[in-house]
Amino acid sequence: MVGIMNPVSREKLESLSSSVKFAIDLGSKLELCRQLKHDLLEEDAADLSEFLPRIFDLYSDPSGPVRKFATEIIGEIGVKHLEFVPELAPFLITVLEDATPAVARQSVACSIDLFRHTLEKIAIRGLYSSELDSDLESSWSWMLKLKEKIYSIAFQPGSGGIRLVALKFVEAVILLYTPNPNGSLEPPPNEGTSIEFNITWLRGGHPLLNVGDLSIEASQRLVLLLDQLRFPAVKSLTTSVIVVIINSLSAIAKKRPAYYGRILPVLLSLDPPSFVIKGVHVYGAHHALKNALLSCLKCTHPSAAPWRERILGALKEMKAGGLADLALNQVHKINGSVEEEKDDSLLIKEEKPLTKTYDAAGSNVGRKRSGTEGSSDLAEKDEVAGKRVKATPSASEESTKELNRNITVSQGDISSTQSSTRKVDVDTGPVQQLVGMFGALVAQGEKAVGSLGILISNISADLLAEVVMANMCNLPPTHPHTDTDDELLEDMCIVGSDTQAKYPPSFLADVISLSSTFPPIASMLNSQQSVPNKIVKTEGEEEVDVVADPNSALAYAGMAHEDENALLATDLPVSSNIVLPGMKIDPPTPSDIHDTGNLESGIPGLDSSFRNDGLSDTQAASSLVSTDIEDASQEQATSFGGKSPLHVLPSISIDRSEELSPKAAVTDSSSMVSSTATSVVSSCPFVLPKMSAPVVNLSEDQKDDVQKLAFVRIVEAYKQIAVAGGSQVRSSLLAYLGVELPSELELQKVLREHILSDYINHEGHELTLRVLYRLFGKAEDESDFLSCTTAASAYETFLLAVAETLRDSFPPSDKSLSKLLGEAPRLPKSVLNLLGCLCSPGISEKAEESQSGDRVTQGLSTVWSLILLRPPIRDVCLKIALQSAVHHLEEVRMKAIRLVANKLYPLQSIAQQIEEFAREMLLSVVNVDATERTGAEGLISESHKDSDLEKSSNEHQSMSSISKDISADVHQSDTSHSGSSPSVPEAQRCMSLYFALCTKKHSLFGQIFIIYGSASKEVKQAIHRHIPILVRTMGLSSDLLEIISDPPSGSENLLMQVLQTLTEGTVPSAELIFTIKKLFDSKLKVQDVEILVPVLPFLPGDEVLLLFPHLVNLPLDKFQAVLTRLLQGSAHSGPVLTPAEVLIAIHGIVPERDGIPLKKVTDACNACFEQRHIFTQQVLAKVLNQLVERIPLPLLFMRTVLQAIGAFPALVEFIMEILSRLVSKQIWQNPKLWVGFLKCALLTKPQSFSVLLQLPPPQLENALNRTAALKAPLVAHASQQNIRNSLPRSMLAVLGLAPDTQSSSQAQTSQAHTGDTSNSEKDAAVTEKSKESSSAS
Amino acid sequence: MKFRYAMVCSSNQNRSMEAHSLLKKQGFDVSSYGTGAHVKLPGPSLREPNVYEFGTPYKHMFDDLRRKDPELYKRNGILPMLKRNLSVKLAPQRWQDNAADGCFDIVFTFEEKVFDMVLEDLHNRDQVLLKSVLVINLEVKDNHEEAAIGARIALDLCEQIEAVESWEDSIDDIMVSFENKHRRKLLYSISFY
Repeated sequence: MVGIMNPVSREKLESLSSSVKFAIDLGSKLELCRQLKHDLLEEDAADLSEFLPRIFDLYSDPSGPVRKFATEIIGEIGVKHLEFVPELAPFLITVLEDATPAVARQSVACSIDLFRHTLEKIAIRGLYSSELDSDLESSWSWMLKLKEKIYSIAFQPGSGGIRLVALKFVEAVILLYTPNPNGSLEPPPNEGTSIEFNITWLRGGHPLLNVGDLSIEASQRLVLLLDQLRFPAVKSLTTSVIVVIINSLSAIAKKRPAYYGRILPVLLSLDPPSFVIKGVHVYGAHHALKNALLSCLKCTHPSAAPWRERILGALKEMKAGGLADLALNQVHKINGSVEEEKDDSLLIKEEKPLTKTYDAAGSNVGRKRSGTEGSSDLAEKDEVAGKRVKATPSASEESTKELNRNITVSQGDISSTQSSTRKVDVDTGPVQQLVGMFGALVAQGEKAVGSLGILISNISADLLAEVVMANMCNLPPTHPHTDTDDELLEDMCIVGSDTQAKYPPSFLADVISLSSTFPPIASMLNSQQSVPNKIVKTEGEEEVDVVADPNSALAYAGMAHEDENALLATDLPVSSNIVLPGMKIDPPTPSDIHDTGNLESGIPGLDSSFRNDGLSDTQAASSLVSTDIEDASQEQATSFGGKSPLHVLPSISIDRSEELSPKAAVTDSSSMVSSTATSVVSSCPFVLPKMSAPVVNLSEDQKDDVQKLAFVRIVEAYKQIAVAGGSQVRSSLLAYLGVELPSELELQKVLREHILSDYINHEGHELTLRVLYRLFGKAEDESDFLSCTTAASAYETFLLAVAETLRDSFPPSDKSLSKLLGEAPRLPKSVLNLLGCLCSPGISEKAEESQSGDRVTQGLSTVWSLILLRPPIRDVCLKIALQSAVHHLEEVRMKAIRLVANKLYPLQSIAQQIEEFAREMLLSVVNVDATERTGAEGLISESHKDSDLEKSSNEHQSMSSISKDISADVHQSDTSHSGSSPSVPEAQRCMSLYFALCTKKHSLFGQIFIIYGSASKEVKQAIHRHIPILVRTMGLSSDLLEIISDPPSGSENLLMQVLQTLTEGTVPSAELIFTIKKLFDSKLKVQDVEILVPVLPFLPGDEVLLLFPHLVNLPLDKFQAVLTRLLQGSAHSGPVLTPAEVLIAIHGIVPERDGIPLKKVTDACNACFEQRHIFTQQVLAKVLNQLVERIPLPLLFMRTVLQAIGAFPALVEFIMEILSRLVSKQIWQNPKLWVGFLKCALLTKPQSFSVLLQLPPPQLENALNRTAALKAPLVAHASQQNIRNSLPRSMLAVLGLAPDTQSSSQAQTSQAHTGDTSNSEKDAAVTEKSKESSSAS
Repeated sequence: MKFRYAMVCSSNQNRSMEAHSLLKKQGFDVSSYGTGAHVKLPGPSLREPNVYEFGTPYKHMFDDLRRKDPELYKRNGILPMLKRNLSVKLAPQRWQDNAADGCFDIVFTFEEKVFDMVLEDLHNRDQVLLKSVLVINLEVKDNHEEAAIGARIALDLCEQIEAVESWEDSIDDIMVSFENKHRRKLLYSISFY
């Protein structure tokens, strides 16, 4: 079959190998290699031998990965076909030198495999036959060469990354060369079975391999390895090499315990500080060493035992004491399991020495602990771990119970123990020091009262709470005389707070209470012996006190049956649990001789406080639970001497089995107590009589209920604290309890309800903060995900609930919420959301009630204070305020804008942000329609379009007033974009903030000018609405002037409005006028005289006159406005021009010269005439009087005259005078005026006859020819005798009254006629025009 | 990407998954594991954590918790986290059971305890391949914020490692420069497959 396959597969292989060679990219090369490898490994030896050169050939590939792969293939072929070793080994040796580290490493990796297989094969072959074939021998010699080569790499300094693998190779060889104590002692019965190779198989002799020689070589190599770690060689190593060597050594030590004694001294002498070799990185090596030592510690081999002490010592130095304990515990476990089959006595024997060392370690830990007992974070951690311990089932037998527990801890939650152990070294335990201090002071009696007071008033309430909690364990179990309750209560006020001033009379009593409060401490300090006594005593308390105290005995008796008493009874275990959280969980026992008994001693006298409570309940309803602690101490003082004999240690064995399993937590407190003890006491054996006592077993649920009930009681009692005062200290205590107790009990809810039921009277703020700080501390401090997430969640829930209640139940004017948020340690997102909803109603809630306005104010003022007080969340708060500032409700918006512009914007640090936000909002309004307008046309077309728009807007502008402007825009926007640009309210929503900022920083105003041109009509409308208020608020500043002096194109209308607003009701400053004039002169040119309009009243008359043609050129309505302005002038300076001056100015305009359509001028005139109350008869007369003197006469003179007559017929006489003056001025010379003159004459007949008759005869004839209607009446008039007589003959001839002069007059007429014809066309036009205008007027 | 990476924390939920997600996005060949006995997620209280077996799909946990108390688990960030996780891979995996997943070149842990467990596990395996593996511990506090920061730092470190030809030769330099840059203490060890 092989034969058949061969040709095919060889062909395939060849083609594969060649395609590998010629493949272009690395990926396909590697893929081909993979295939090749797969195929090759299925070949048999004969074919492979032919093919080997081709594979070697592959190695010549330039790319590292391919060479690496080739090496790998070689290695695998070698392992499969050991007969090739003589060929492959030289190859691998070459590869070791490869320039690419990865390839060289691969070679080492292949080598170890090859080496192991060769060794095994030779060894086993040798076992079954005395002769080995030469092939194998040569293989072996090659392998040895390879090995030597790798050795040289391993021990040669500076060979880089390959050295790591080479060192590992050394480790592997050492392991192969040395007997494995745990391995199979006998070789496999036949070749081929796979059992891990063990050199011991060869001890019977082998033709090639000598066990002794191999072992010698192994130890030589080990020495070399060890030497690497010795000074000074270690100095030249890199951290990675050190790590690898340490790891290798620890592995060797573990697997070959025989070398334990050689390796450990080196490891132990490896001085961590010496790791500061190549500079910085020492942790890796340090940690590796620690782990190595720990794993050595776990070694159970007898040869390891002597080293334990030293390892422990070293680990302790490395601050890994806790870990060492754990490791030891594991040893316990291992021992236990290993020797399980052996009889019990052996087990005990085995354990004894271990326990000793264990104790030694434990005492050390315990001592360290003592200092930090009360430190809250530690306590918290311990609580957590404690619970876990509790959760684990401990149903095992008593003898192994402790071990089991330890194991549980070590397996599950190393971290907590570990971290607490570490902390111990840092923390010096201020609480315990304080407890000691208090004790010392109290011991001095009355003279120390002052100092005590000072001490109490100087430490924080939180710390005091810790001290109280820490001192709980010192409380005696019984209450001596209940009738002192009230007195004590009073005293307590002084203990708790510095109210000495308030209660001077009770001062003496205080002294007594103080000294009685701390006797346990005092006694602890004074007599060491009493302490262990007390510890032991407290252990038995629960049970023994039942008998001792009549009251509680009653409670106990009733426990099982009577409802009311059940409560009291259950208080006892509760109390123990209350203490527990603050205690240690660590199983290690302190240096107490009663190691197991001590474990039980955990429930120090807090229970007595509850008993007191029960007592006072029965005694007086007004009793305050808060005094319980003090009561307890008091009672302790009295009961101390007498009671102690009763407090005996119950039978250890029974107690353990009964009590420990359900309540493993009890043990937690042990270290607390014991450590307190050890802090003062060294050790004092105290033999206690055994005694059995009733033990109450409670289920978890029952315990929970009981704890909860107890807490509820405490909380209830706190409600009365306000009466007693001093709640500051107590609230710390309450918060402590509420948080430290297991959170499952929903105690925080109880606490919250308490707080919220009467926030003010219950000092809700203080209490809330204390709870929050506790929770926060917990969340921050916990390192594991579970507890820190839980604590953070509890924190958030608590804060949010309180905040919501404050919001809902307090009037908006209340500052509690603001204060709370200002002082809470952290504001989670949900709370910020709440604030956001408050500031921007409607975001998530439905329409608010009528109060919403006030709520917004409340929210905003809170935000403001947060911004001021909490820089880290400033951005978030600012965002809330800004969102509110663009709220859709104007009321909300205006409030927020006021806050932002007036209060926040002036803050340097956030001004920039506010500005950016406002600008963004402003631009968003414009950009929306800009983008819609341009669509896909792109920027170029946009700018093009913009200029178009400008043009058209300019045109529009010149024709329409500002008020019409909008309609022009409508047109514009309608044609240019049919987009959904923001509505006016929407535009206002977005822009209001920016406008408000403009009033604070005028330079911002410029942006509005810039966007104005491209804004939609709605936006423009919104802008126009704002401008008057805005500009008035801003006033004229240099910034504004600057903007005005160079307005961007397209903003003319805006500019106009601004100017109007600026000049409204005030006198514009000289600068403004100057700026405007300059602007007019420089930029806007003739057409935009409009911009001058607002300041016209303030310009000197002559300047206005100069501008007059431009003004006349304005649209009529604008001109009318101008007229009014000019004539009214400003309040301060009076009219700029008199009506007469105006009219004269109008007449001074020469259309051709000034480039103004005649129509405009006539319109202007008409406008004047419309205001007859201004342009009165007198004015007209004056004007005409002046005008008539003008040379040349104004074009419209006659028109005006005609209008004057039309308006004021009474002026006829005056007009006649004018006409006659015109005659004298030879009015006929000006054909246009001549027409008017005649018209006027016709109009004013018969009065005009006398004037007509003043005309020279030719002109008269002309006149009569033109206006035939005049002729007859004139002739009639002239026919009157008196007139006729006065007329010269030529005149009469013209009139036809003297026929003989016909011819001459004829000639004259023709003359005039000729002159007339030349002008006739023009005249016709003028006539037309004047007709029009007169009809218009 | 020439190296295979593994991100390891205790529950294969927060820190390791944050890093896994980030590195995956950056195109790294990355896996993630947890070393704990179970997958523990916060519950309504400390005493009642949600405990799952490794291998339970994230989706399952997500649905489970959403059913239990959507409000709570959304607020404490668990649901968002699970959502992220289920977009990265199917279910949390346990480090100790990952032998079948092949060799990794670089293993990141985010807690010293986990670091030790990984190393111990590696030492307990048969080290026959002699393939070196770099185990790095970057101490990261186990909350959402820190995890995000930690993942970014891990990414940075991975990129630096990726940039050199073989980490064996330059790991000390990388570590030193990294520590100087981020001011964070690193712990590393070298083990073998």
